[in-house]
Amino acid sequence: MGKREVFWGVVSCIVILLAYIIPYTFLTNVANWYGSFLLWVGVAFVIIIINLIITKDWRS
Amino acid sequence: MSNSLIWWGIIIYTVASLFIAYLSRSGKEVSMSGYFLGNRKMNGFVSALSYSATTYSAFMMVGLAGLTYRGGVGALGFEIIYFAGVTLVAFFGPRFWLAGNKYGYVTPSEMLGDRYDNKLVAVLIAISTCIFLIPYSAVQLAGVGYLVEGMTNGGISFTTGVIIATVLAIVFSFIAGIRSVMWTDSLQALMMIVASTVVVLLIIQGLGGFSGFFGSLEANYPDSLTVPGNGYWSFATFLSMTVPWLFFSLSNPQVSQRMFMPSSLKSLRGMLLGFLGFGLVYTLVSVLWGFSAVIMFPGLENPDVATPSLLSSEFVPPVLGIIVMVAIIAAAISTIDSILLTLASLFARDVYGNMKPNVSESRQLAIGKFVMPIIAIMAFAFAELQLDLIAVLSVASSAGLTVTVPAIIGTFFWKRGTATGVITSVAVSGLLVLMLELFTLKPYGLGSGVWGLLVSTLLFVGVSLLTKPPVEKAEEFVTYINTEMKKSLKSSKNAKRETVNKGY
Repeated sequence: MGKREVFWGVVSCIVILLAYIIPYTFLTNVANWYGSFLLWVGVAFVIIIINLIITKDWRS
Repeated sequence: MSNSLIWWGIIIYTVASLFIAYLSRSGKEVSMSGYFLGNRKMNGFVSALSYSATTYSAFMMVGLAGLTYRGGVGALGFEIIYFAGVTLVAFFGPRFWLAGNKYGYVTPSEMLGDRYDNKLVAVLIAISTCIFLIPYSAVQLAGVGYLVEGMTNGGISFTTGVIIATVLAIVFSFIAGIRSVMWTDSLQALMMIVASTVVVLLIIQGLGGFSGFFGSLEANYPDSLTVPGNGYWSFATFLSMTVPWLFFSLSNPQVSQRMFMPSSLKSLRGMLLGFLGFGLVYTLVSVLWGFSAVIMFPGLENPDVATPSLLSSEFVPPVLGIIVMVAIIAAAISTIDSILLTLASLFARDVYGNMKPNVSESRQLAIGKFVMPIIAIMAFAFAELQLDLIAVLSVASSAGLTVTVPAIIGTFFWKRGTATGVITSVAVSGLLVLMLELFTLKPYGLGSGVWGLLVSTLLFVGVSLLTKPPVEKAEEFVTYINTEMKKSLKSSKNAKRETVNKGY
């Protein structure tokens, strides 16, 4: 694995860990749309951006 | 909703799909890679739609909406963790693709068998995959059954729905193998994304727009917007359900096999990004359906009827309801036919091909086609058992496949891994998952997938360290992949630099 791959691998792991931790800690009492709902939707967008970056050099 | 309208919907869908499947043929396929991998020439767009259709099935629109209905926003988190797990394709996709092109692999288990230099590895993984994926197909069939029965208030029975789905899955797989499956998948995915998004917008509009919709949830059902919420999504449950799905893109061969198929890395990228775009929309739609049902139909006994209830509601015009319902039936079929093809290829290539020496490609293909209907009928039998909550059963099936993940990671990243390590880890932890599911045991509150993955990792590493690795094969394989990975990315950068220099 190249350095770039390792870096984005670590970033992805951190994002996934946060998707587990934050809703069960800081957001357990935020019963609004901007609580866990928004957080998880935000995680999805971050994941899309990470994938865009990792694959940007893939050519035919 | 009238039964005749539903029948017409099913008939129109069947005719359109058969037509597309017929068009997708490209001469007579006599090779395994032609029939099961589309000659490794699939383009990004069709691959993305088909990957979405294969992954997102009846489970998504029926099961995930039901899960949201039952436990609230945790269902969104569950699906987003899966979604994030698809990032694994960004790391493993090019490696699968390179290995497939170089060594001619048709199935992921064939790759493992070759890399670990032991045919038994391929045979064992192929068999354990069949054991776990047939119940998974049954879950999809049951989804169709619940849906048509719910939509017609019993006018069309559960069994009739299941029979329709089984027959169509067999037919779509037969016509042109993966080509007909991918093209009918694409039709389904497009139909689904458009119709279901319109439905969710209509319902939210009907419930007072975005602020009225969430306002009602916040005021009347605040538990549904937090975890653990009403208690359903305890952290142990969340972890147990998400772990198998986090690794779904690697552990489930009906999707991991797709990494062999794109025509280029660019197509692979198209497949991955296209899937992520579709996936996010599907996920949001399904969860919002579940929330809508919470507001509109509180007190449903079986959460799996949340979706049919919504589609029959006053906010959804009957024709649109029919289109979505047919799209959901098609979604189940698109998942089952992909699984059928994958299982048939596993059986023909890894089980039959390894048991009998010097079997020709055409013979393997004939065997593959022969076992497809047999597998479908087994799934049909499981579906008829009508097990309770679709999502939970689905997760139980994927838990069993998770045990192959350490061996798959080791294929590319750990030369020290051995065949004995793979065989021990897959066999022992596969049995462990079966036992835990059979006796409904959850040690420390954690489900079978978590224990399966933990035990299989320990066994794979431990046993590998005690046994002799296939030094020569591992060195050759891993060196090839690493060199090619560097080369392909380097040449991409050079191409880009040239483009810039030329002032394009």
